[in-house]
Amino acid sequence: MTASHPVIRKMTTTFKLCAMASAIVSAGLISSQALAATPAGTLVIGKAADPQTLDPAITIDNNDWTVTYPAYQRLIRYKVVGGKGTTQVEGDLASGWTSSADGLTWEFKLKKGQKFDDGSAVTADAVKYSFERMLKAGQGPSEAFPSDMKVDVSSPDTVKFTLTKPYSPFLYTLANNGASIVNPAVVEKQGTAYLAKATAGSGPFRLVSWQKGQSLILEPNPYYAGTKPSLKQVVVKIIGDASSRRLQLENGDLDVAEDLPEDQLASISKKPGVTVAAFPSLRVTYLYLNNKKGPMSDVNMRRAISYATDYSGIIKGVLKGNAKQMRGAIPEGMWGFDPKAMQYSLNLAKAKQLIDGSTGKGATLNFVYSSKDPNWEPIAISTQATLGALGVKVKLENLANATMRERVGKGDYDIAIGNWSPDFADPYMFMNYWFDSEKEGLPGNRSYYNNPTVDKLVRQAASLTDQKERTKLYQQAQKIVINEAGYVYLFQKNYQVGLRANVKGFAFNPMLESVFNIDTMVKR
Amino acid sequence: MAFLRMIKKRLLGLLLVVLGVSFITFAISHLIPGDPARLIAGDKASEEIVQNIREQLGLNQPLYIQYGTYLKGLATGDLGTSIRTTRPVLEDLKAFFPATLELSLVALLFASALGIPLGVISAVYKDKPIDQVVRTLAVTGISTPAFWLGLGVIVVFYGKLGLLPGGGRIDEGLTPPAAMTGFYLIDTLLQGDKAAFVSALKHILLPAFTLGFVHLGVVARQIRSAMLEQLQEDYIRTAKANGTSKWGVILHHALPNALIPSVTVIGLALGDLLYGAVLTETVFAWPGMGAYVVNSIQALDFPAVMGFAVVVSFAYVIVNLIVDMLYMLIDPRISEVS
Repeated sequence: MTASHPVIRKMTTTFKLCAMASAIVSAGLISSQALAATPAGTLVIGKAADPQTLDPAITIDNNDWTVTYPAYQRLIRYKVVGGKGTTQVEGDLASGWTSSADGLTWEFKLKKGQKFDDGSAVTADAVKYSFERMLKAGQGPSEAFPSDMKVDVSSPDTVKFTLTKPYSPFLYTLANNGASIVNPAVVEKQGTAYLAKATAGSGPFRLVSWQKGQSLILEPNPYYAGTKPSLKQVVVKIIGDASSRRLQLENGDLDVAEDLPEDQLASISKKPGVTVAAFPSLRVTYLYLNNKKGPMSDVNMRRAISYATDYSGIIKGVLKGNAKQMRGAIPEGMWGFDPKAMQYSLNLAKAKQLIDGSTGKGATLNFVYSSKDPNWEPIAISTQATLGALGVKVKLENLANATMRERVGKGDYDIAIGNWSPDFADPYMFMNYWFDSEKEGLPGNRSYYNNPTVDKLVRQAASLTDQKERTKLYQQAQKIVINEAGYVYLFQKNYQVGLRANVKGFAFNPMLESVFNIDTMVKR
Repeated sequence: MAFLRMIKKRLLGLLLVVLGVSFITFAISHLIPGDPARLIAGDKASEEIVQNIREQLGLNQPLYIQYGTYLKGLATGDLGTSIRTTRPVLEDLKAFFPATLELSLVALLFASALGIPLGVISAVYKDKPIDQVVRTLAVTGISTPAFWLGLGVIVVFYGKLGLLPGGGRIDEGLTPPAAMTGFYLIDTLLQGDKAAFVSALKHILLPAFTLGFVHLGVVARQIRSAMLEQLQEDYIRTAKANGTSKWGVILHHALPNALIPSVTVIGLALGDLLYGAVLTETVFAWPGMGAYVVNSIQALDFPAVMGFAVVVSFAYVIVNLIVDMLYMLIDPRISEVS
């Protein structure tokens, strides 16, 4: 009865049509080409976030450098030795350079035949223009350079830098992303804001498209004067979720995947066709101890915290072994590193003895951190546990990252935690930033460490040009700051990245995290 | 006339909503501790550089001047410049908003197209096994976290079966359609690019299902309860007494009346979908406003956050206006009362 009713008949027909339509759509989807591996000659890199801005005079974010670094050249670049990136430098646009004995004048000669991606020549004028533009912008990248530095064109292929006071890291700063040489004609024609969304350099690649939040495509610069890259295209895919990046790498839709979940790296590396490469980095994690006020102003209390830290437990338990304990402030891999420097280790008896002899006995300390780095909380908990066993109560304060920075900037904390990575390959980035009393606060000396002897040593080291002499001074200063436990020197973490097995030639440079040498990488 | 009066009134309200939203977002953005200039300059930058950036961005001006400048721009359709991306906020939102809207609309279509029939069936077969199944499905939908469901369907349909893509809006090898509407499904059809359309369709299925699943439950439950209420009414008994068939009564008499309150639920759901797409977008690498706004909040990029709030609240008010207009069409009594 019911089945013969017109409404029911109509519904039945509708359902049939729907079923047919869905069958056709499903068949179409299923029979369409399998979700294939990335095409030969195309390298697909999966990243967690879209670049913010591509302007080398503005960006200080390594995430942006994935695109900007291969799109521009600089006067100097980091050497690759035996397939490995180093912190030593060589000429990139520059064929050679000279410096005056006092280190105040530097002259660079440009290589012949260097061209921007529109075919125009890279001249000394372009170098002057780029540096003056960056300094005038006065944003983050300009921090690495003396603000009163003068740039002059000596000849069409020679550029001269004049400094007002000696600044020994100068040569190394020229390999920084902020020292990229931009095409003045493009900036003048398109306006300075153009470089936020496009590239105009002389590097091996150039940006050809940017689908915001989705992908960026780079292709070789046809006018690049160096060796032609073997890759025909590089796609940077933005995939916010780490598990999705993992799946796409395993399925072959990505050739390279960054920021994979640490606890999953071991299982990812067991998947066929996937490797997880680990490289020692210069990114360090350390505890700031407020030297200026409260219980931490007592050196014995700071030493006690250094002895009450479970370094190996943190490295094994929290970082799954993917880190190495620091030996003072200068990390291994940076010149100036002292392999014989004193290293603290967990020694609760000694810590107890030091606490008993300090003004901090029975104190309650606050430990401020944020969720920016997932490792910070377990480290804070570990510190709380070991100090708690010694009768020192630690109150954990998990703050919004901006609030935490503000607290550190004001010196409103007892213990805090942070990461640090150098902007140029010079121990200045650690010793002068961390310990010079003139850099107190968020920009560098976050422990508010103040020792006139150390000030003198690090300032002298920054004014000399002789690397051996500088190393000696820095190591001398380092002995003092280790003994005085200015910070708790925790660990330098490995940089880990997932790669398909057919991707070869990745030369990680500890100065350039998130930058891939796509000009020499190959896909087999 | 009543119709026009209502539209006029609502548009005036829209102006007040936008003003209110911009003021509240501005106030909250400036109450949050942290300095956007410091975030741009980087931790290592000297105070001199940070101060320079403050001046460049006008952050050194008194707050009322900053807000006044913002409102002046807003009146001319200028949402300011993003602190983080250094691009005009409007340009950024133009790139991201259509993706979010397309995903939300397809999710809503999915939720309504399945939720309405399921709600009807559930009400008609109240307390029967099929009703139990639908109710369980509805509760599951409402209580399943989107990121969990998203990962689950990716693992199954992309990871294990390889049937559908794991993320993005279109295959890498294909050129995205020229932006006409900003909706890939429509733009690819308008340009007659079949391959791109199929790819866009494949890419939207899983995120739309994930996003729509929660609202599927809401819609099904709403329709069920409205239908149960309607089926008890006297006019239903009269219709039955007149000899109208069971399904005729259900579809022609009860359902249209049950749809009236459901239109509100569906309209509000679109607002929720626009705001709530963040997690789904993250899991599916969907290039919508979600990731943009989250990154902007973290970077204290208040022009971008304010731009987002203004655009979404604008869309929300417009959707509600459309809902009210639909009310009048569905139920002429409302128009008469107005």
